Amino acid sequence: MTIFLLTGIMISTYAMLVCQRVPALIQNFRLQSLFLFLVTLDFAFRQKEAGIFVVAGLLLLVKVVLIPSFLNNLVKKIRVDERLGLFLNPLLSLIAALFLTWGASVFCSWFLGTSPIAVFAAFVVSITVVLVGFFIMVFRMKALTQIVGLLVMENGIFLLASAITGGMPFFVEIAIAFDVFVCAIITGIFMYRINKVFTHIEVHRLTDLKG
Amino acid sequence: MLLFWVVIIPVLAVALSAVLPARSRGAANLAAHGAVFVLAAALACRITSGTGVVVFGGVLRADALSAFFVLLISLVNLAALAYSRPYLREDIRAGALSPGQARGYDILFNVFAATMLVVPLLDNLGHMWVAVELTTLASAFLVGFYNTKASVEAAWKYVIICSVGITLALLGTVLVYYAVAAQTAVKTLDWSVIMSRASGLNPRLLSVAFLFILVGYGTKAGLAPMHTWLPDAHSQALTPVSALLSGVLLKTSLYAIIRFAMITNKAMGADFTSRLFIFFGLFSVAVAGIFLLAQKDFKRLLAYSSIEHVGIIVFALGVGTPLAVFGSMFHALNHAVTKSLVFFAAGNAVKKYKTHHLHMIHGLIQALPFTAAAALVGLLSLVGMPPFGIFMSKLMILSACFQKGLYAPAALLLFFLAVVFGALMFHLSASIFGNKPKGIEFGKEAWSMKLVFVSLILLLVLLGVMMPTPLQALLVSASRLIAGEGL
Repeated sequence: MTIFLLTGIMISTYAMLVCQRVPALIQNFRLQSLFLFLVTLDFAFRQKEAGIFVVAGLLLLVKVVLIPSFLNNLVKKIRVDERLGLFLNPLLSLIAALFLTWGASVFCSWFLGTSPIAVFAAFVVSITVVLVGFFIMVFRMKALTQIVGLLVMENGIFLLASAITGGMPFFVEIAIAFDVFVCAIITGIFMYRINKVFTHIEVHRLTDLKG
Repeated sequence: MLLFWVVIIPVLAVALSAVLPARSRGAANLAAHGAVFVLAAALACRITSGTGVVVFGGVLRADALSAFFVLLISLVNLAALAYSRPYLREDIRAGALSPGQARGYDILFNVFAATMLVVPLLDNLGHMWVAVELTTLASAFLVGFYNTKASVEAAWKYVIICSVGITLALLGTVLVYYAVAAQTAVKTLDWSVIMSRASGLNPRLLSVAFLFILVGYGTKAGLAPMHTWLPDAHSQALTPVSALLSGVLLKTSLYAIIRFAMITNKAMGADFTSRLFIFFGLFSVAVAGIFLLAQKDFKRLLAYSSIEHVGIIVFALGVGTPLAVFGSMFHALNHAVTKSLVFFAAGNAVKKYKTHHLHMIHGLIQALPFTAAAALVGLLSLVGMPPFGIFMSKLMILSACFQKGLYAPAALLLFFLAVVFGALMFHLSASIFGNKPKGIEFGKEAWSMKLVFVSLILLLVLLGVMMPTPLQALLVSASRLIAGEGL
């Protein structure tokens, strides 16, 4: 079951690299968060802890419902060109992502030593997700992709925490979820402002400040 | 209860700023931050004279290190608040801000202050992470306050780069959590609990975790090469906020790094963190020196100088002897006071000349004599001239370095400091002296601004000439905590 869900996370992560339009990227992020929610839910059923159910519910609310809808609304409101603006085309991005996955697995086998296959797989997937999130931030042009990349990185870390440690302490999880939500809102507001002042949201063209 | 009030007063000030009219709002804020400063001093006294730890409700915990940082933050908060009253009043008079925006500023300022004050008081490393991220989010609007192209760009870079950095720090925090859970079967993120069990933790895990922590929080602390957001944010923010960013925001991240370094040192000896600290410290001073030489913007100049000073603080932590760590903490305090002074002076100059360009700001001494005098004192202190505090702390750090036999790093540090000295002297003396351009009238500062300048200058001299005994006791116990009991 866990391996199945992890595969789902992997697929949605790779899908983010091949998509070329903003709504597709947001949709893939939603899908990834949904799988993350299912992983957490699965975990909650096995641990039978009320706290983990609450964390899973919060994940569903914040990352599957609220943040993607907020971003979609924002994109509609600023009516910007829907293309993502790729510095690296989908095929090359995918190849890079495969290398990242391989690197993550090397790192994990050095790091973990011998451990159950499910833990190992979860570790590799989560590190890959963090790396791909970073990749999206660097190799896509729009301000929106940076927000999504950041959220993807945070998804990866969340997965890592629940995979190897069974989740962070309850109040820490709640605080982090709140923080991620506020972060998404605030970066969204700034994206809106960038569009207003510069009439575009392409971050590689923000080069007034130098030196 | 003391800790509770330190945290809750700024929150109350947020609520007051939202409802009170302009005139009483200023007084209420000043009273609130004055009270926080007094409480911070009381906390420091209680910790140095008592058992060394004060806790509240299992969430808040303060030892000498926390008390020192709370004192530092509340001091700069108070100074920045006192300076921002006349600063904003001029902006409103000039039409750059509306009264509504001034209220927004007060609210954001207090949110920012509250998040910074809570960072050193949280025992749980996960909560601390959240608080550090909230400082970024709270200050982002203060960086982009004027809503111009440059300020929005700066705010965007600030939020995104710092959030990525902080995300890496979260990864490091998760790894530390895993290390503790794997080794001791205790699932906790409480620093005090982890510290008491740190000696058995897996060194390989901790070394990777610490790398993430250093790069992550180091981004926000302004360590080179992750410093790229810093000059943009510092130069575009409102001047009182620049002082806060430079004087204390960078240090709250440093505080987080120090907490993790203490765990790592206990688990695997000080060599690992020490080498990293020395490398990043020297690299930051070097990068700052190069960019300072070629700088054209007044406030960016000061921003790069902040990178230099953070570099010195981190370098001293790397040296790691009690004298060096004492010097490092002392340097953090000196830098916060000096940088506030210079930023305030720079803010007045930029407002008077209506430009950030150094080659257009000349003859400040003719245009704004009082500000020019403050800038000159700040400059001399910044480059490390006696009788100011920075001279003393640099002297401590360098002599600790020589005592430990680290000749090459000390020589490199001295060389880069000489570059910084030359660059700052060259740029700022040209701005302070010389003839003022035509069209710039002779001006006067508000008396409350003068009061802020004078008190900061007096404090600088006091720190350099004779350190007050309670402060010394606090610094000694804080550096003893960091350097470990055995030293």
